[in-house]
Amino acid sequence: MQARGLTRRYGRVRALEAVDVEIGAGEIVGLLGPSGAGKTTLVRILALLQRPSSGALALFGEDHAPARPARFRRRIGYMPQEHALYEDLSARFNVHFFGHGAPADRVDGMLRFLGLGDRAGDAVQTMSGGMKQRVSLACALVGSPELLLLDEPTAGIDPLLRERFWSEFRHLRDGGASLLVSTHQVDEAVHCDRLLLLREGGLVADTTPQALMRRVGTTARVERADGCVEERRFPPGGRELVAWLRTLPDAEADRVDVATDTLEDVIVGLMREQAAHA
Amino acid sequence: MPEPLRDTAMVARRVILQTLRDPRFLVLALAVPVLLVLLLKGVFEGVPAFRALHVPIDDYALPVGGFMVFFLAYVLSTLVLVRERRDGTLERMLAVGYARPAIIGGFVLGYGALALVQTALVVSATAWLFAIDLGARLVPVSLTTFVLSMVSIAMGVFVSAAARSEGQVFPTIPLLIVPTLLLCGVVLPLDQLPRYLRVVAHVLPPTYAENVLLGMMRHGHSFVHELPSFLVLTGFGVALVAAASLGMRASR
Repeated sequence: MQARGLTRRYGRVRALEAVDVEIGAGEIVGLLGPSGAGKTTLVRILALLQRPSSGALALFGEDHAPARPARFRRRIGYMPQEHALYEDLSARFNVHFFGHGAPADRVDGMLRFLGLGDRAGDAVQTMSGGMKQRVSLACALVGSPELLLLDEPTAGIDPLLRERFWSEFRHLRDGGASLLVSTHQVDEAVHCDRLLLLREGGLVADTTPQALMRRVGTTARVERADGCVEERRFPPGGRELVAWLRTLPDAEADRVDVATDTLEDVIVGLMREQAAHA
Repeated sequence: MPEPLRDTAMVARRVILQTLRDPRFLVLALAVPVLLVLLLKGVFEGVPAFRALHVPIDDYALPVGGFMVFFLAYVLSTLVLVRERRDGTLERMLAVGYARPAIIGGFVLGYGALALVQTALVVSATAWLFAIDLGARLVPVSLTTFVLSMVSIAMGVFVSAAARSEGQVFPTIPLLIVPTLLLCGVVLPLDQLPRYLRVVAHVLPPTYAENVLLGMMRHGHSFVHELPSFLVLTGFGVALVAAASLGMRASR
């Protein structure tokens, strides 16, 4: 999937501004950004549900994909942000229907795989939010698509289920599928092979978790015997931190805390830097 | 089975399954037109002031019943598609590859099945309550009422397919129903309408259905005599389904 200069305007509002995206086979690309950053607009354009105001989109090696959406639909799996299920019908029927008539054994296998084997015949409206999310994911996966576009698939689900979702995404990636997973939970960035950071409709960074980890710094906090507290930031690598700690006289430091940035801290920092720069 | 037909059948099957899963809705949808016909009988035969008007209500009962089926089918189909759009299921259908004509066709067929039962109930209840001997008119009268309800479903789908929000859909209900009731020929004969209102009447599909029903029930015409009106009515249905397929929006 290759997109160049995707722009989407709603009247005078620019929801997406000249975004370039590429996703290769066997890759999980995370789409991160705060609410209103343009994540859903980008996912919907890539799912061929919305046409860009300008820009080019090629899918599976074919140009002008938005002009011929029907050619690509079966090869794309799309999971929208809301559950988008027929709540009065069973999970099994929903997966069959949104799997475009997927065979019964495949539907049941998918529901079993996602831990819903014993609830397959139940109406969706009797299920918890997490279960509905799994049914929705089953609908997107059941057709074995080559490109998966998942809009906040882990929003509002518990940590154990989140881990299960990501394990499934890795499994699909290893099978050669391409995945674009949008999330506003930056701690999920660690699961991705590549990260796209969006802010106010623009692409702030196209990077990898490893590259971001190289920006990880530390914060040292020293409480002195006289009650004074000193806090200092240190760049990645740790050499300067160690040198500084060695300069502290033993008698003066009552307590020393050293905190290493998380990936989340780096991403938030990057977003803030970009905002200040803008 | 060719894919477009298979998709249409899948959407229709889903609509029918959803209808069957909601018995309260099903009972209301089937009982309301019959209750309204009963009310008509009570008012025109039981209330002295109305009885004094000497309205040949037996001649009008079936055309009025047809109008009620039209009204209910329009409201039902309009609201259903708006709900689909609000819940994101319409967008999801498009995303997985259901073509627009298959979706619209599936809606019309699915709710058409309900309309078929509604029509059978209204026609038989009206004939029984007003002691009307339909004889050979049974099939054409039922067919016209059924086609009217299908046209009504197509109209509802067309209006809600082109709308951006529920707010844009609701005002169309009185906007369509009130002029239709006044101009379709049941309340006032078409030839008594001023010229400009007659033009309006002729762009409303129920006018053609009522032409057939009133022609057969009130004026004793044969169905063959009323066939041009029936064909125009059917043409409206086909055109509305095509227009709805072209104009359907996916998102809220």
